[in-house]
Amino acid sequence: MSLEIDHVTKRFGTTTALDGLAFDVARGEVFGFLGANGAGKTTTMRICLGILRADAGEIRWEGRPTGELPRRTWGYLPEERGLYPRMGVLDQLVYYGSLYGETPDRARREAVAWLTRFQIPDYAGRRAEELSKGNQQKVQFIAAVLHGPEVLLMDEPFTGLDPVNLVLLREAFMELRDRGRTLIFSTHQMEMAEAMCESVAIVDHGRLVAGGRMRDLKRASGRRSVRLALDGDPVPTWLVDLSGVESLRPGAGGSELELMPGTDPAAILSAVLARGATVTRFEVVEPSLEALFMEHVGRPADDEAIVAPDVAIPALDARGAA
Amino acid sequence: MAGRDPLLPNAWIVARREYRDRVRSPLFLASTVVLMGLAMLVAIAPIGIRYFDRQTITRLAVVSDDPDLAVRATAVADSVLNQRPDGADPASWEKPYVVEASEDRAAAEGALSAGEVAGVMIVQRLTSGQVDVTLRANESAGSARAQLLGLAAFSIGILDWTSRQPSGGAVDPFIPAAFRVEALNTATEAGRPLDAQETASRAFLGIIFVVLLFITVVIYGMWVATGVASEKSSRVMELMISAASPRQMLTGKVVGIGAAGLSQYVAIAVPTLILIAFQDRIAEAVLGPSWAEGAPIVGLSPSLLAGYGVFFLLGFVLFALIYAAMGAFVSRPDDLQTLSLPLSLVATIGYLTAIVALGGGQGLWVTVASFLPPFSPFVMLARLMVSAIEPWQVLLSIGILLASIAVVAVAASRMYAAGVLLYGQRPGVRAFIAAARKA
Repeated sequence: MSLEIDHVTKRFGTTTALDGLAFDVARGEVFGFLGANGAGKTTTMRICLGILRADAGEIRWEGRPTGELPRRTWGYLPEERGLYPRMGVLDQLVYYGSLYGETPDRARREAVAWLTRFQIPDYAGRRAEELSKGNQQKVQFIAAVLHGPEVLLMDEPFTGLDPVNLVLLREAFMELRDRGRTLIFSTHQMEMAEAMCESVAIVDHGRLVAGGRMRDLKRASGRRSVRLALDGDPVPTWLVDLSGVESLRPGAGGSELELMPGTDPAAILSAVLARGATVTRFEVVEPSLEALFMEHVGRPADDEAIVAPDVAIPALDARGAA
Repeated sequence: MAGRDPLLPNAWIVARREYRDRVRSPLFLASTVVLMGLAMLVAIAPIGIRYFDRQTITRLAVVSDDPDLAVRATAVADSVLNQRPDGADPASWEKPYVVEASEDRAAAEGALSAGEVAGVMIVQRLTSGQVDVTLRANESAGSARAQLLGLAAFSIGILDWTSRQPSGGAVDPFIPAAFRVEALNTATEAGRPLDAQETASRAFLGIIFVVLLFITVVIYGMWVATGVASEKSSRVMELMISAASPRQMLTGKVVGIGAAGLSQYVAIAVPTLILIAFQDRIAEAVLGPSWAEGAPIVGLSPSLLAGYGVFFLLGFVLFALIYAAMGAFVSRPDDLQTLSLPLSLVATIGYLTAIVALGGGQGLWVTVASFLPPFSPFVMLARLMVSAIEPWQVLLSIGILLASIAVVAVAASRMYAAGVLLYGQRPGVRAFIAAARKA
C-alpha cells in the first residue's frame, strides 16, 4: 500500500474530528473518500498536506511520513474554490506552478496543454473573474495537477460542473491514473464515485465504517437489488408493497428494487408474475454504493441534496415516501 | 512543515506577484499621482507662508545699564541688520528687523521666552572699558544673524571708544568688543550646536518624516491586511496553502506590498525633496532676493537619512506583520474597518508623541516611547531630528525594535496559519487562539 492512514486522531477542543481513522490507498488507483458533512474528510486531507498536525497516528506515503515529503508530492483541489479574480488565467497557473518548483516556461507549456485539453485555450489571457464557475473549476483543477503530483487530493471535485465538463474531468482522472498517479477524492455524488473508483473508504464521525475494493464491499453486503421492467407500466409504484422490497427507484430503463437482507430475488419475480404483470426485463444487480453508504452510515451522504446531473430521481422507501 | 519549506524561492515568488498586482492597478497609479501632488504642495507651503507673511518683522531687544550705550548699540544693530538688498525697491522695501532698547532686562528675557522677540542683546561696559555684548537667542554663533550682530558688536565697541576719548588728551588703547552667543536650544550635530536655520529645518523635515512614516504604516499596513483578508474571502488561500507555507506567504506578502509601498513612497519623496532642496531659489524667484533664507534641507545629514531609513523600514515591518495577522483574523475585508481602528490609534499615539518631541518636548513619556515598540519608530526618529541623542540610545531603540519584530513575526506567522485553518468562518478569539496553538 502506498498511502497509509495509520490510526489518525485529531481533536478540535471537545470535538473529535478523527477517531483512530485507518485505511490504505494503493498507488495508481482512483479512490473514493466518502462521508457525510463533518465526517472528517477535509481534516484528513489537511493532515496529508501538513496543514494540520495529527494528535495521534500518522499518515505515510511510500513508507515516509507526509511531513518529510516535498510539497510537490501533492496536488490539492480544495472544496472551497477561489482564484485571484483580477489575475489572468495563464499568469495564475504559471504562478502556482512556480510555487511548486516548476520553471515558468515549463509551467506555461503545461498550462496551455491543459487549457487546450479542457477546451478553454482562448481563456488563457482572460481574468479569472470573467470565467464561468465551471471554467474556474477547471482552471483550479489544472493548478492542482500542473506540477505532476504523485498524489492528487480533491475535495468535492464535481460540484457545479455541467455534464460536458463532468465527462472532461472524468477522462482527465482516468488519464492521470493511467500515468500512475494516485487520485483520492471526496464526494457526495455516489454515482460518480461508483463509476470511477476502484476502492473507497466510508467514514462517519471520524471513523472508518467500511472500506476496501468496491467489488469486495458489494459482495460482503447481504443486500441485493433487482432491476425490473414491466410492459405497459413504466412507473410500477405498487412494487414497493411486495414483501422483501425495501425501496424502489423508478428509472427510464426499468425500476430498481432494493431488497431486504435475505430476500430471494426469485421470490420477487414470482410475486410480480402472480400479480399478472408482463415482465420485459429482470436482472439481479449488486447493491449500489449509495445503498452501501446508507447501510453503514444510516443516512444519505448529503442531506442538502447535491444532485448529480445524470441522477435526479429520488428513491421511494417501503412506505412509498420519497 | 517549516523544516521542509525554506523561505526562498516561494516567498520571493509571492512577493513578486503581490508587487506586480499592486503597482499595475490603476488605483495605485492614481493615488501615487495625487499623493505626489499633495506632498509637493506641502513642500512649497513654507514659501506660501512666507509670501503671506511678508510683513512679519523680527524683533530684537537691546538691554544695557548705560542708556547712551543702549542708544548706540540699538542704532548700530539696526543699521547692520536692516541693510536694503541690492535691487530692492526703496519705496516698497520695509525693514525686516525692529531693534528696540529695553530698560528692563527681566522683561526682555520674558519676551524672549514668550517668543515676542527673537533675541536679547545685552550690552555692558566692563571696568576695563571694554564693551561686552551677549546675544541670547534660539540660535548658535554660526547663524547668519549672529554673525551680523558680531559685526555690529565690533562697531559698537569702536563707536563707544571714540565717544569716550577726551578732546586733546591721551588716547586710551582700543580694546575690541567681546561678543558671544548664548544659544538656548540643545540640538547638536557631532557635538556642534545647531544654528537656528538648521534647527528649524530639522523640525520641518522631522514633521515631514514622521507624517510620511505614519501614512506609510497605516496605508500600506492596511494594504497588507486587505490582501490577506481578500485571499481568505475569495478562497484563494485554500489553494495557496497546499503550494506554499504560511511563513512563505506571510513573508512574501509583507515584502511584496512593502516594496510596492516603497515604490510609491520614492515616487512621492524624490520630487518633494528636490522641491525642498531648491526652496531658497524658488523663494528668491517668487518673493525676491531678501526672502531667500537658505534651503530648509540644510539640517539633513547622511546619518539622519540613514536613521530615517532604518526606523522607516523597521516601523513598517513591525506594523505590517501585525496588520497581516489582523487580516488573517477576519473573514471579510469589510470587517477590517472595525478591527484596524485600535491599531490605527496605536500608530496615532506614536505619531502625536513624535510631534510633541519635535516641538521640544522631553518628558518621561517621550523618552520611554522612544524605546518602546511600536511607538519607537516615530518617537526616536523625532528625537533624532531635533535633539541631542547619544548613539547608544539609538542603537538600543533599534535593538529593542528588532527583537520585538522577531517576536511579532513568530506570533503573526502562527496567527496567519490559524487564519488559514479557520478561513470561511467567523472565528471567536478563543477559537483563533486555539487554532494558533495548533498551527
